[in-house]
Amino acid sequence: MTRTLKIGGQVVAVACVVALLVLLLWRLTHQEHAPKVGAQAPGFTLRMLSGNGTLDLASLRGKAVVLNFWASWCVPCKAEAPKLERAWQQYRSRGVVFVGVDFHDVTRDGRRFVAAHGLTFPMVEDGSGDVTSGRYGITQAPETYVVGRDGKIVLHIPGPIVDAATLARFRAALTTALRS
Amino acid sequence: MRLRVLAVAVAALALAGPAAAACTQPKTSLSYLEGQVMCPTCHTTLDQSDAPAARAIEAQISRRIAQCWTAGQIEDELVANFGEGILAAPPHKGFDLLAWWLPLGGVLAGAAILGFGVWRWSRSREPDPEPVPSGLDDETERRLDDLLARLD
Repeated sequence: MTRTLKIGGQVVAVACVVALLVLLLWRLTHQEHAPKVGAQAPGFTLRMLSGNGTLDLASLRGKAVVLNFWASWCVPCKAEAPKLERAWQQYRSRGVVFVGVDFHDVTRDGRRFVAAHGLTFPMVEDGSGDVTSGRYGITQAPETYVVGRDGKIVLHIPGPIVDAATLARFRAALTTALRS
Repeated sequence: MRLRVLAVAVAALALAGPAAAACTQPKTSLSYLEGQVMCPTCHTTLDQSDAPAARAIEAQISRRIAQCWTAGQIEDELVANFGEGILAAPPHKGFDLLAWWLPLGGVLAGAAILGFGVWRWSRSREPDPEPVPSGLDDETERRLDDLLARLD
C-alpha cells in the first residue's frame, strides 16, 4: 500500500512538472510579435471611441489604411497628432483611410485628446490592448502601420512621425500602399 | 423686492446644486483601489507603478471617488474600459472561479495525503501483538484441534 502511494505521488509530481513545461513552451511559442512588412495586417473589430458602433478592419479592404496606435497619456503622440491630421486631410481624397487606435486609455481622456488636437479621422478604442499588444505587438506609443489595398503591411514605424525623414518614409509608403 | 431677491437666491441655489454636490463622505479611497487595479502597460498594481497610463487611471479613479462612486462601481467602469485584466484579483465568477478554488483544493488535497501518510506510517510502526498464552501444552492443543476438526 505504501509503495503504491509512493508511486502515485511520484506520478503526480512528474505530471505537474510536465504540465509546467508544456505551459512554458506554449507561452514561448505564443509570444506577441509585431507583424512583419509584407505580411497580412491582422484583422480586428473595435469599438469606435465616440461610442457609436464598431469598425472592422476587413471593411476597409481595397483601400490603403494607416493604423496609428496612440494614447492620451503618451507625450510624443501630442507632437505627432497635428502631422497626422494634416496627412489625413491631404490623402483622404486619394483613397487612404486613417484609423487611430487609442489603447490602454481612459475613454474620456481619449475623447478629450481627439477634441483638443482637432483630429477628424476615425478613432477606435482598445482599452484591454488585446489587438494592440496581442495582434500588432505594440510595445510603445505611438506606432504606425501603413497597410496596402491588398491588406498587406507596407511599413511599420515604431515611434512618432514628426521628423522630416520619417515623414518622407511615411509619404513614400502611402504612395506604395495606394499602388498595391 | 424682497420676494424677487429670494426667488433669485433660490434659482441660484438650484443651479449651483449639482456643482456643489461634491462627495463629502467618499465610499472608497484611492489608496485602496490602487492595490486592486493593474497598470495596463506595466502589469503591476497602480501603487507600484509610475507609468503615465497608471497616472491617468488614478486620475479617473479620483474623479469617480469625488463623485461618491463605490469601489464596485469604479471597478465595473474600469473593466468596461480596459477589460477584466485591469483587476488585480480574478473575478469570482465563471472560469475565473478556478483561480480561487484550485489553491484551496490543492491545500486540502495535500493535507489529506499528508494525514493519510502519517496514519499509515504510525500503523506500520506499532509492534505486533504478543501471542496470548492459551494455558494448554502443545500436545493437548493439537488433540483439541483434531477433535474440533472432526466435529466440523
